Amino acid sequence: MAILLLLLFARLINLQFYQHEGLLLQANKNRINVVPLLPTRGVITDRNGKGLALNHVSYQVQMISERVEDMDKTIARLQQLMAWSDQQVDNIRKRIRRARSDRPVLLADKLEWQSVAPLAARLHHFSGVNVIAGTHRYYPYDELTSHLVGYLSLAGPKDLRRGYLRTENVGHSGLESTMESMLHGTPGTQQEEIDAHGQRVAVLKQFPSEMGKDVRLSIDVELQEVASKALGNRTGAVVVMDVQSGELLTVLSKPGFNTNRFITGLEHEQWQSWIKDIRKPLLNRTTQAAYPPASTMKMVAGFAGLRHKIPLAAGRTECPGYLELADRKMRCWKRKGHKHVTLHKSLVQSCDVYFYELGDQLGMQRLVDEARMWGFGEQTGVAITPESRGQLPPSVQRLRDGRTRPWYRGETMITAIGQGLSTVTPIQMARFAAAIANGGKILKPKLYAGSEPTIIREVDVDDKHLKIIRKAMRDVIAEPKGTAHWALNWAPWSVAGKTGTAQVVAMAQDEEEEKLAKKTPELDRHKDHAWFMGYAPYDNPKVAFAIFVEHGGHGGSDAAPVANALIRKLAQQESERANAL
Amino acid sequence: MNTLLKMDKVLLLVLVCLAALGIATLYAAVHHGDITIWQRQNIFWLLGIIIFVSVAFVPLRMIGLVTWPIYLLALLFLLLIPFIGDMQMGARRWLDLGIINLQPSELMKWALMLLLAHWFASREPTTIINFSAAAAITVVPAGLIAMQPDLGTALVLLFAASTMLLASGIRWRWVIGAVATSPVCLYLLWNNMHNYQKTRVLSFLDPQSDPLGAGYHVIQSGIAIGSGGLFGKGFMEGTQARLHFLPEQHTDFIFAVLAEEGGLLAVLLLLILYAITVSRILIIASRAHTRFGSLLCVGIASIFMLYIFVNIGMVSGMLPVVGVPLPFISYGGSALVTMLAALGVVMRVGIESKEKIPWQRPGSPLT
Repeated sequence: MAILLLLLFARLINLQFYQHEGLLLQANKNRINVVPLLPTRGVITDRNGKGLALNHVSYQVQMISERVEDMDKTIARLQQLMAWSDQQVDNIRKRIRRARSDRPVLLADKLEWQSVAPLAARLHHFSGVNVIAGTHRYYPYDELTSHLVGYLSLAGPKDLRRGYLRTENVGHSGLESTMESMLHGTPGTQQEEIDAHGQRVAVLKQFPSEMGKDVRLSIDVELQEVASKALGNRTGAVVVMDVQSGELLTVLSKPGFNTNRFITGLEHEQWQSWIKDIRKPLLNRTTQAAYPPASTMKMVAGFAGLRHKIPLAAGRTECPGYLELADRKMRCWKRKGHKHVTLHKSLVQSCDVYFYELGDQLGMQRLVDEARMWGFGEQTGVAITPESRGQLPPSVQRLRDGRTRPWYRGETMITAIGQGLSTVTPIQMARFAAAIANGGKILKPKLYAGSEPTIIREVDVDDKHLKIIRKAMRDVIAEPKGTAHWALNWAPWSVAGKTGTAQVVAMAQDEEEEKLAKKTPELDRHKDHAWFMGYAPYDNPKVAFAIFVEHGGHGGSDAAPVANALIRKLAQQESERANAL
Repeated sequence: MNTLLKMDKVLLLVLVCLAALGIATLYAAVHHGDITIWQRQNIFWLLGIIIFVSVAFVPLRMIGLVTWPIYLLALLFLLLIPFIGDMQMGARRWLDLGIINLQPSELMKWALMLLLAHWFASREPTTIINFSAAAAITVVPAGLIAMQPDLGTALVLLFAASTMLLASGIRWRWVIGAVATSPVCLYLLWNNMHNYQKTRVLSFLDPQSDPLGAGYHVIQSGIAIGSGGLFGKGFMEGTQARLHFLPEQHTDFIFAVLAEEGGLLAVLLLLILYAITVSRILIIASRAHTRFGSLLCVGIASIFMLYIFVNIGMVSGMLPVVGVPLPFISYGGSALVTMLAALGVVMRVGIESKEKIPWQRPGSPLT
């Protein structure tokens, strides 16, 4: 008997003395559950404080399956009440099967109160089902700011490696992505005591989360709305920039996409339809896409001609409507020709022949160098990713076999009028316009309100040359024969600008696209791209802009009216501000 | 009154201590759940004490007379179980007798012990016939209980019977023979075990192999005991118990509650109380005037000791999980009442050994 008792005692000493620490740890591990406290994400507003990305209260439906009395009946009644599709129900059943029966399973989330209210009122009939309030991201302007602001999605494998939690949302495009570190905040933790069923009994300790920082953008969402309305349902991009600070007032790409759809759970079909849509709604045309600059490149050729003192830049030539080069005829857009043309006249009326000759005399090297000086062929460094650099032709042509050869004269000539190999992004174009207006300062486009200007470089340009080009750009609007005269001459501010009409030889890439193109007649894929870039007011420049309309037709008739709408809005805002003072 | 005063004072005092410890521990085990369990157990205590005192007044001769009837009644109940028993967790162990729910196997333990004491009071176990008869009255009920299935109680029955055989002076070569044949018995036993019993034994051998299944009980009770440390987490402060990580905490695993909340200190106290109880019973056995009384005490002491060892051994992970209550601490009416009745018998043995009975003749088995 004594032996038996001593045996027991020895065992208990072993447990309670020698193994005490390890077992105490296990007991605490049993009962203490560390729950992350997710931080509230910072809010994104425009320069006037209008919300672009907000946090909305939303509701989740959860279920603890072991507490459900009759699973099939419960799900059938939930389906009826919540109007779930059969496919959704299948997914929900799968999730329930995979989860532990004593832990809550998410059935549906990001629900508005209206859609959970019927369930919430009858919750006592649904044992094991619960409705929980939380927040989700809400984009009040949705499509209008879709490319700029971007959207969130649930943390993926990469994010998990960076330390995100499985239940967290991470910015996956636009500013939500590039400003992630600011917006996100720091998660906290909460130590909870749980019982054997995993139910919380008490909160032991709390380390609160730190809220993400709010971001106020330089964007003026009202102006962006005006730009969007002016573009209508055409495909294109509008960038408006403050010429002194580099702050962006509008960054619009059309068509947009429905960012709130990402938040409320994107269906596969919707995603596929966006991907397959030949209008490419997911493409951010302000930074991601590069297009031939067309006649807007003529300022670059003009600056180069003046810089290198090409006699033609100060002199004149004849435009019969074409230029003969060997056996080819290089056409001017005006078949009848412009007769005598100077630099000024060829900019105002956008004569091609003059610039063929000027380009020919400059050569590819000097043309490309000038373009590079004005910020083409490089990323602007704007906080919207990904950003295209656009493209400038190399100074010599590389053949497929690796050998090089000089450019043919014809190739240099079409480069001078912005056709051929060079492509630019709308944001580069807006910056170019701002640089002309502010005296050659190449600015980094800024998205935060009130940020200090960052001058990337100052173009070494003669004031006299600037004046010449600026005057010509002014006369594009002011002279009756100017290409944007009819669109902008009566705008409240005096505008200086330049139209561009890029020839498109966009052949359908396969039969399917061809069919699609035929089905959508408004989408004439052989129509030219329309550009309009410039600044206003002419005497005291405040804003620069670039407007691009994909397959839009002509710069003067299709892109310039958008600028008119923008200038009206800006002038109206200024007078309102003056009245308020 | 005279009779009451002759009760063994030490045993009485220890019983009071055990009652206090048991009631307190049970309260700690159920206060966060169904408190009526605790209230019911207090009523069982009252009932048990009445029976305890009553039994102390019953002359041993009378007890000797009822040994066979009690045994046969218990056997009848055991036989009835397959037909009218209550099914609980895959085993038929309970008999609903209208007023009370009876566990016949519990009754049989004591009935067998009584009968064996009676049997060997006038017979020596050294003859083959006497021994075989004793073996038969042990093996038949043990087999019935094992078929319920309730292996733990069946083993307790066998162990208690063996102890009594040893105490009554069995031949040692039979003991050696039994030990030698035990591997064969174990093999037969293993083959006839139910799957849940096998998994219990296996999970005892390696509890971590199935932490959420069969090993869960033992792992959690081990954590509870170990986390209690030397001085415990405090009364009603045991997290394993309070948060329901500890299974069966008011019945078979109540020892873990005591160990978690009272630490090694409380464990030591309980073991000392048990040691005093058992040794006191054995002292009374040695002083008994009759062989019947002495064998009764040895039987009772051995059942107590087995309960204590098997229960604590199981809860602390030394032995496989078998459903054996912790005497005076675990919740359960029939166990408590029968144990108190058994202590009443022990008291009676003590009382009678103090009485000078003039007509007593040495060698008379029943006096």
